[in-house]
Amino acid sequence: MVTAEHLHKTFGRFTAVKDASFSIEKGEIVGFLGPNGAGKTTTMKMLTGYLPPTAGTARIAGFDIIDSPLEARRHMGYMPENVPLYDDLRVYEYLDYRARLKGICGKSVRNQIGEVIEKCGLEPKRKTLINTLSKGYRQRVGLADALLGNPDLLILDEPTNGLDPNQIRQIRELIRALSENHTVILSTHILHEVEMICNKVIIIDQGEIKAADTPENLTANLRAAGRVSIEYKGDLDSIVQELEAFEPIKKVFTEETEDGWHRLLVRAEPGTDSREKAAAIIASHGYPIRHIYRHIPSLEDVFVEMTRRD
Amino acid sequence: MSSSQNIIKRTTSSFATLRTIYAKELRGYLAVPFGWVILGCTMALQGFILQAVLQVMTHATGNGVMYHMLDNLNFWFCFIFIFPLITMRCMAEEERQGTLEGLLTAPVTTTQIVLGKYFAAYTFYLLLWLPMLLYPLASEIGNVYTEMRYGIQPEGVITYMLADWVGPYLILALSGAFFVALGIMCSALTRSQIIAAILCTCLMIMYYFMGRATELWGEFPAAPVFHYMSCTEHVRSFSSGVIDTRPVVLYLSLTVFTLALTKRIVDYRRWTR
Repeated sequence: MVTAEHLHKTFGRFTAVKDASFSIEKGEIVGFLGPNGAGKTTTMKMLTGYLPPTAGTARIAGFDIIDSPLEARRHMGYMPENVPLYDDLRVYEYLDYRARLKGICGKSVRNQIGEVIEKCGLEPKRKTLINTLSKGYRQRVGLADALLGNPDLLILDEPTNGLDPNQIRQIRELIRALSENHTVILSTHILHEVEMICNKVIIIDQGEIKAADTPENLTANLRAAGRVSIEYKGDLDSIVQELEAFEPIKKVFTEETEDGWHRLLVRAEPGTDSREKAAAIIASHGYPIRHIYRHIPSLEDVFVEMTRRD
Repeated sequence: MSSSQNIIKRTTSSFATLRTIYAKELRGYLAVPFGWVILGCTMALQGFILQAVLQVMTHATGNGVMYHMLDNLNFWFCFIFIFPLITMRCMAEEERQGTLEGLLTAPVTTTQIVLGKYFAAYTFYLLLWLPMLLYPLASEIGNVYTEMRYGIQPEGVITYMLADWVGPYLILALSGAFFVALGIMCSALTRSQIIAAILCTCLMIMYYFMGRATELWGEFPAAPVFHYMSCTEHVRSFSSGVIDTRPVVLYLSLTVFTLALTKRIVDYRRWTR
């Protein structure tokens, strides 16, 4: 659906995106992750053809964004960051204008507008002036605009930025529903969101693509994966020795809790679960355990590990 | 959903897109107070000029009322300020609001955007001159009233004489075509409406004074160039009924050149964003 080939963008001396190459298959929901100023928006703007890349190119649905920009844009719906809209139009008028700009004509204009208004829950605001809309509704109008003409590819730049938790949930549900028929690229810095809806993650930092994979693969290979913490009461040294003798466990850190229990932080090979064995070892001594927990690595860990500056 | 994909009716006609942008922009003048305020102010100013002209015409001259309306410093004073007012919003506001991004990522070419906005602004500019066509009618009503009230039959001061009206409207349309293009170019150069308006006013005043250079400096070897581009001289000759093809070529080519430049500017500014 999308192939980016060595996309490169410099602004004066500042390099915003360095040699970004990736490909996105049909039907994928791809999350662009990265700290502020990492180059997410710049990359997306290059894909839409709004910012001409300094070097490299991309193809959308087989059309080159530089050689045949109009064809490429016909296959794409784009929702820019902060959703710029014409404030002096009503929702319906705005969508009508956008639909016609996208080349929809005749009866289809009305059908399409009806369809996107329904999908985005804009029915009650149909005739409202855009400058009186709340942030959440503006966001929906932007999304409705991107959906007009049923494009194969949706590019959404921070679709949930500035929304309250309920609105975020609604937009998320909507995006998930859309993924049945569309390929979606979205950028965000809310990791939780990506974990919930994306089936591919592209992590960008300082203009470079650090990783592009499924969230599962990314988290599986993390250092943090496989880490277990245990709290028990009893002799410390023998337990630590026995635990460290056990195969996947590499090292055990210990500390005391305020009320005299031992807290063990067990570092093991990624992708292993040493809870059962550890519990058995401690139980064989008859010591009580009040807490045992295997750290589930999240995208946050991946993100921190990849974009840490130290 | 997938079935609706098949039945979406689409057009790739660039004329349809142009018309869409044109309609939206024209609506931007007429559906909001903005355009009507400009129209109202222009009508008031035209009224003041007419009042001054009628004073002049009491010392009867051979020329029609439109000649006196246009060959008049008051007229130029108002005329120069119309263009920045009409065009300052066009591109600058799109850029400031960020809607230019949506526009340029739709399947639309820069040329269509520039032309759509240009024709809308130009149409609105032409509308500004329509109320003047009512002057002869108003004067006729005045005559009828005078006849009924005083029993004397006054001679028509402002009449629908083709020769009086074609020339002036032609030069208004021609020079307007160029000046609107100039205004849109200024608007494309910046994201601030104020800067666009100031720039446009400056360029218009410069153009105006270049046309009067020969009045200041007398005749010199390059003087024909200044005569050739003098908008005051064009207005004078056209409004006295002399229709010359040279200014037609001048204004049309300047318009095309300015619009082509504007297209380049809009494209160029994407690189710097």
